[in-house]
This record gives sequence, C-alpha cells and structure tokens, in this order.
Amino acid sequence: MNDAANTDRWIRWLNTLQLVLAGVLIMAPTVWMVLSSFKPSFEVTAYPPTLIFSPTLDNYVELTKTTPFLSYALNSLIVTVGSTALGLLFGIPAAFAVSWTRISWPAILTLAARMAPGTLFLLPWYVMFRQVGMIGSYTALILSHAVITLPIVIWVLLPSFDGIPRSVFEAAQVDGCSVTRILWRIALPLVASGVAVSAILAFVFSWNYFLFALVLSNGDTKTLIAAAFNFIGEGSTQWGALMAAATLIALPPLVLAALVQRWLVSGLTLGAVKG
Amino acid sequence: MSDTAATLTQDRQKLEMAALAAPAVVFTVAMIAFPVVYTIWLGFQTFSSAGKQSFAGLANYSKLISDAEFWHGLWVTIALYVLSLTLQLVFGIWLALVLFHAKRLPGIVRSLFISPFMMPPVVAGMMWLVILDPSLGAANYILQWLGLPPSDWLASPSLVIPTVALIDSWQWTPYVALIVLGGLQSLPPSVYEAAQIDGASPFKTFQRITLPLLLPTIVTAAILRSVDLLRFFDIIYITTQGGPGNASNTLNIYGFRVGFEFFNIGYASALMLTLTAIVFGAVLAFNRLRGAVAW
Repeated sequence: MNDAANTDRWIRWLNTLQLVLAGVLIMAPTVWMVLSSFKPSFEVTAYPPTLIFSPTLDNYVELTKTTPFLSYALNSLIVTVGSTALGLLFGIPAAFAVSWTRISWPAILTLAARMAPGTLFLLPWYVMFRQVGMIGSYTALILSHAVITLPIVIWVLLPSFDGIPRSVFEAAQVDGCSVTRILWRIALPLVASGVAVSAILAFVFSWNYFLFALVLSNGDTKTLIAAAFNFIGEGSTQWGALMAAATLIALPPLVLAALVQRWLVSGLTLGAVKG
Repeated sequence: MSDTAATLTQDRQKLEMAALAAPAVVFTVAMIAFPVVYTIWLGFQTFSSAGKQSFAGLANYSKLISDAEFWHGLWVTIALYVLSLTLQLVFGIWLALVLFHAKRLPGIVRSLFISPFMMPPVVAGMMWLVILDPSLGAANYILQWLGLPPSDWLASPSLVIPTVALIDSWQWTPYVALIVLGGLQSLPPSVYEAAQIDGASPFKTFQRITLPLLLPTIVTAAILRSVDLLRFFDIIYITTQGGPGNASNTLNIYGFRVGFEFFNIGYASALMLTLTAIVFGAVLAFNRLRGAVAW
C-alpha cells in the first residue's frame, strides 16, 4: 500500500520533470530572441553570450530609424485585415450552405487549394497580374491571401454550424423566414464564438504567410514578413535590430493566439480533432 | 396544392443555398482552378530569351527526367520530410503523454506551448539563424560547455538538412502534441481500468492499448504535417536559400528559383505540378492508412 503510494509520487515527480524539460526546450529560443532584442549592440554578439545586461530600447529605435518598419507593418495590417474580411465574407455563407445541404464539394475544393504548394498558383498569378499591371497592388496581395483565409473560415465554422439543432431552423422556416435571413438573424449569433476563432486563425495565418508577398508586392506594398528577408541581408552585425524586428513581427499572432488558445486545437486541425 | 407550394419553397431554398455558396466557389475557381489549368498549359510551353512563347510538347517533362538538380531536389525533399515527420511524431506523442498526465494545465502554460507554431516560420528562421551562428551563436556555446565539439549547423552541407528538420520540429512538435492530446482525452477510460485490473504494466498498457487506439489521431497529425513538410519553403528560404551550394534545395525552393530567378516559367510549372502530385499522393496514401487503422 505504502509502496504503491511511493511509486505514484515517483511517477508524478518524473512527469513534472519532463514537463519542465519540454517547457524549457520550447521556450528558450523565443526567450533568447526577446532578450537579444533588448541587449546593447556590443553585447548581442558577445562571446560567450551574456544573460545579464542592462536592457535598452536602442535596437527598436534603430530599426524604426534605419528601415521603413512602420510602413511595412501598415502594409501587413492592410493585407491581413483585407484578406480576413474577404475570407469571412465568402466563407460564412458557404460554410452555412455546406452544413445545411450536406453537399460538401465546395468546402473540399477550398481545402484542396490550401494543400497544394503556393508556388503552383504563384506562377500563373504572376503572369496574369503582370498582364493587368497589378503586381505590387494591395488588391493582388489581398486576393492571394484570401486563398489562405477562406478554407480556414469554412472549415472552422462547419462544425459550429453542424452543432445547431435542425429544429431551430425548421421552426424559423415555418414562420416564413428565408434561408438568408435565417443565416444572419438566427444561425450567425449562435456561432459567434466560432466566427471569432475563425477570424483570429485567418488573421494569424495570413499575417504569417511569406511566399505570395515575396513575389506580388513591391517596395511600397511589402509586408513585414516579406521585408524580414531584407533585414537579414543587412549583415550579422545588426543582430540586435534583427531580433527586435523578429520580436515585433511575432507579437500580433502570439497575442491573438493566446486569447483563443482554448479553442485553437479543433480549429487548427480543420475539425479533424475535437479539442 | 400544398404539395406544389412545398416544392416551390424547396426550389427557392435550393436557389438561395446556391447563392450563398456561390461567392466562395467562384472565388476559388477564379483564383485556383483556372490558374492551375493555366499552369498545366504553361507546362507544355517554352519561352525563348526574347519572351516568345511556343508549344513544346513534353519537352519540360523530359527535361525533368534528365535534370540532376530535380532528382537532387526530390532527394532533399524526401530526406527532410522523413526526418522531420519522424522527429515530430515521436516527440509529439511523448509531449502529449506528458501533458495528459499533468492533468490540469493553466491557460498561460498552454499559450506558451502553442507559441512556436503560432509565430511566423520566417521569425523562427530568423531567431535560429542567430542562435545557430557557427562562430557567435548560443548553440555552439552550449555544446562547448557540455564538452562537445562546435558545429557548423546551417553552414555545413552535410548537417543542413538535419538542422532545418530540427528548427521545423521545434516549431511544430507542440502542434502534433496538441492533436495527439485531443485523441488521448477522447479515449474511453474503461479500457485503462480493464488493463489495470489485469495488472498490465504502464509500458504494456501504452503499447497494447493506448497506441493502437491513438493510431487514427496520429495518422491525422501525419497528414496535416505532410502537406506542409513536402512543400517546405519559408525556413529554408530565410536561412539558407537552398544552400550551402544546393544542399537544402528542396523541390519547392528549386521550382520557385527556376520560375522567379531564372524566369523559366514553363519548366517551373512542370516542376510545381510534379510536386503537387507528390503532395496529393501522400495525402491519399495516408487517408487509406487512416481507414485501415480506424476503430
């Protein structure tokens, strides 16, 4: 009896130890990035690396002074908000129709588009957008990023719409409500939290997306992610500013993800796993 | 009469449903289906240096077979894929078990665990570039401190693939863990109780009961990771751009460079269609496997 309790405590202690180990492995690189961004420039490249230093905002100041960081950030915001809005606008009605009719090919079509390598679309887009003079336009960037957001919105919302009892809709139909009215007045308020999760996930993945802006943006419309490449080009002596840029770019998705972390799992697996 | 009225509302309803789904379908056809058909057509074209375009038949595809860089890219893609997927599944299952037995996890801990894969892969590449710097990076300092020889990491042609796999696994192992954790939490507790009564050891319980029951979830995680890993791009483009030399030149990186650095759109189209076929082939194969291990 006493022996079993001892073994039990042993196992729990061992598990906590592994949990801490995993936590350190997961957190250490990010912590290092943030610490480096606050180091005085001579200490960022110090060897051996230092853990204790007097923190400074110099790297952030230098970043905004020497690069158009804020205008890149504004570009990122325009493209991300625009593509998220477009994804919601097209995705909400489509998810509702798929859930109601059980005709699933529209949802599968958008998912298949998400699975193909982005370069596959980027080649014809580049040829087509160039012909109509849209390379470097916000429109081209927003449209391309909506290819990322649309399947996220549809697949995150599908289980939410599926969860509404049919009787709710049938009652509204008997009262003579049109389908569109049922969607906006009855179904949408019931899945409000699902809409919020899908909007945040769409925002995060659009913000993080690299490939399309790399080719479709120009100097004026470059997003932060596409510009990150230029920060690296400036040489390893600029490590402090580089880490400041990395920290700032990562901040919006991390803050948003923390807000909805409880609902993220089922959303991230596109409904494959109930979280 | 009420019958016709019912059919009328049904017809009306069908129309309304079609109208609701139409914007998403039209958008996807315009942005994806049409461009893909265009890519297929481009794959049969050749562009002269003057920009003149002409029908080339299967020339781009026969070039593929004789192009050593393509076979090298295929090898890099598969090596990186197998290595990363193995790392992420093994450590993901381990992490899921640890999290499962910790029972109660505060929200803040969960947020920290999901932080690697919520940040842009580009940022992950930037931070690891600094950490893995061969002369001043923290990683080599830790190796030295442990009494191990320093490594060239991303700068070494023979180590660049394992290093990139390590970076991607740092980012996505917690994601695999969360999926597997979801699977663990949905397993019926009755099976464990039966095993406990039978006096099975924890390891035997895991091997004989937990693992087989978890297989469908693990396969789901494998599918989701395969789609990303086979078209590996962001971290490599930020850290090595396919280098050193061509040591990390995956098919996706190679196709991108053929298209947008050498502007050989026809050949790039053939490369990308081949890669797409590989991705969908892998997904279909795993889907069959999922059917086979379902319970």
